[in-house]
Amino acid sequence: MTRCSLNFPSSGRGFAPNDALALTCGRGHHAVVAQSIVEVRELRKTFKVHEREAGLGATVRGVFKRRFKDVNAVAGITFRIDPGEVVGFLGPNGAGKTTTLKMLSGLLNPTAGEARVLGYVPWRRENAYLRRMTLLIGNRSQLQWDIPAADSLLVLKEIYGLTDDRYRRTLGELTELLALGELLHKPVRNLSLGERMKVEFAAGLIQSPEVAFLDEPTIGLDVSMQSRIRQFVSEYNRRSGATILLTSHYMDDVVALCKRVLVIHHGKLLYDGALSGLADRLAPYKRLVATLRGGNADGIDFSSFGEVASREEGKVTLHVPREGAAERTAALVRALGDRIEDLSVEDPPIEDVIDRVFTSGAEVMA
Amino acid sequence: MIRVYRALLIAQLQLAAQYRLAMFLYLLFSIMRPLIFLAAWSAVALARGGSVNGFTPADFAAYYVILTIVQHFVSAWNQYDFELQVRMGQISPRLVRPLDPIHYAVAENIVWKSFTFVGVLPVLAIIVVTYGVQFRIEPWQIVLFVPSLLLAAALQFFISWAIASTAFWTTRTHAVSTLFDRTAFIFAGQIAPLSLLPGVLQQVAYVLPFGYIYGVPTDILRGGHDLVTSLALMGLQAAWVAAAFAASRIVWRFGIRAYTAVGA
Repeated sequence: MTRCSLNFPSSGRGFAPNDALALTCGRGHHAVVAQSIVEVRELRKTFKVHEREAGLGATVRGVFKRRFKDVNAVAGITFRIDPGEVVGFLGPNGAGKTTTLKMLSGLLNPTAGEARVLGYVPWRRENAYLRRMTLLIGNRSQLQWDIPAADSLLVLKEIYGLTDDRYRRTLGELTELLALGELLHKPVRNLSLGERMKVEFAAGLIQSPEVAFLDEPTIGLDVSMQSRIRQFVSEYNRRSGATILLTSHYMDDVVALCKRVLVIHHGKLLYDGALSGLADRLAPYKRLVATLRGGNADGIDFSSFGEVASREEGKVTLHVPREGAAERTAALVRALGDRIEDLSVEDPPIEDVIDRVFTSGAEVMA
Repeated sequence: MIRVYRALLIAQLQLAAQYRLAMFLYLLFSIMRPLIFLAAWSAVALARGGSVNGFTPADFAAYYVILTIVQHFVSAWNQYDFELQVRMGQISPRLVRPLDPIHYAVAENIVWKSFTFVGVLPVLAIIVVTYGVQFRIEPWQIVLFVPSLLLAAALQFFISWAIASTAFWTTRTHAVSTLFDRTAFIFAGQIAPLSLLPGVLQQVAYVLPFGYIYGVPTDILRGGHDLVTSLALMGLQAAWVAAAFAASRIVWRFGIRAYTAVGA
């Protein structure tokens, strides 16, 4: 497995000294020494799953004798995350992303392996650790539905022992960043999904956590709300310097927020490195898109230049090997001459790359 | 912690204010059962020439009035809520906060029990008038009744929390909770005053924790025990509270490791 770890200088975060969100950065040992915020070594989680076939017979048999199957949700992963990084955790449903996040936030005990977050073993669930982290789950509400979020927030203020001043400043800043307006004063059940998510963010970040685990924070939201949440996360990271590990099904989230990604599949880490390097590693081809003058591509055999991915109305998309893409392009230009109206060579869309990894059994990285 | 509790209590009060109808129905249900038993025992007493083992209808009324008060403050429902929260993974957000979820339940118990007691009083007043109940209560009985009631509430609460915590493994604690409640129904003094139970059953009630849940505080206030017996029973109550507390912590500690955090 190839690892390319990125080091972000901890000094480059740039937040104003009087910034309420940045309060956390002055405390904790890691602020002085730029050591890893998250360290994970050979982490594993195996679930015992009750196996049962459908049907009456199987149901009756299941009452007397149960068969269990071991499912390796996380099959030994190793990585580290440095202060202030925003790392995207990618993988299809059931890959082990959420299980990993749950172990790192102390909800689950691992079957084997080690992890330290802010120097703590998460699953010991020490209050000192829980005070300094947050876990936000996109489709799960942590607020009381029948009362306004402002009232739930007051409970959180006391749980974290925030001073009035600190609470007011942090909430003020979150209100501004999330454009909360009057949302905090409406009963949570009267909020739309997008509004509720904004309020959940406020509740999840009121303690100014140094590390935030975000599990599908934009799930189910419309495009403009997704984009607003994304901007918020990015701005929050810039202002507070908090380290963020997020999972998402939406590539846009990851492209917008994460310089670094972890790709996980069947519980194994397939890739750890820069987002920009993902295509290089996982998709050994480039897309060559040629638009022909007059829209006429008849009678030309494109297959000698590369694999024809699509062909429509004079527009041809070829997949050409990454190595030698330049030569193929030149050859195509020579062969077609001025019949070419437009020509571009590009990396495949990141969704395609990921999809390719997940559907091809993903031994690409081996 | 005082500030945390103040905030938790305020939030619970706001919630309670939202559910006035639900609370009324819940109240109705909890008052109904003692009333039915009161009616049944009164009928038996009258048929037997005025009393059963020395209990006249007025005595039964006094007993069930006090029992209703005790039951109101002592009964706990955490195990039923908690099972759902664990099964659906709803407990997860609370587990990542630096406050043991038991405190939410304690605050909930305090608020709901105090808030709804206002609704119990008029019903009890009607019974007292109808049956011509005369309480013969010595001051020391009241002095002992209050701590005994608190011990009983703590005992029931920790037992229900221990049962609730088994949800981490089974995710189906309902059967266990129901079994406990049904057993308590017989041995805790709901079906009849404990002193009316046949000898063996009475012993079982005091050997197991059940008698200490409703029976002991009710009998202390009703004048069913002398001072020494009352104090001795309260000592046993305290011992049971300690045991139930320890059990609930142990089950919780091991349970949390078995949590699978489904769905969330």
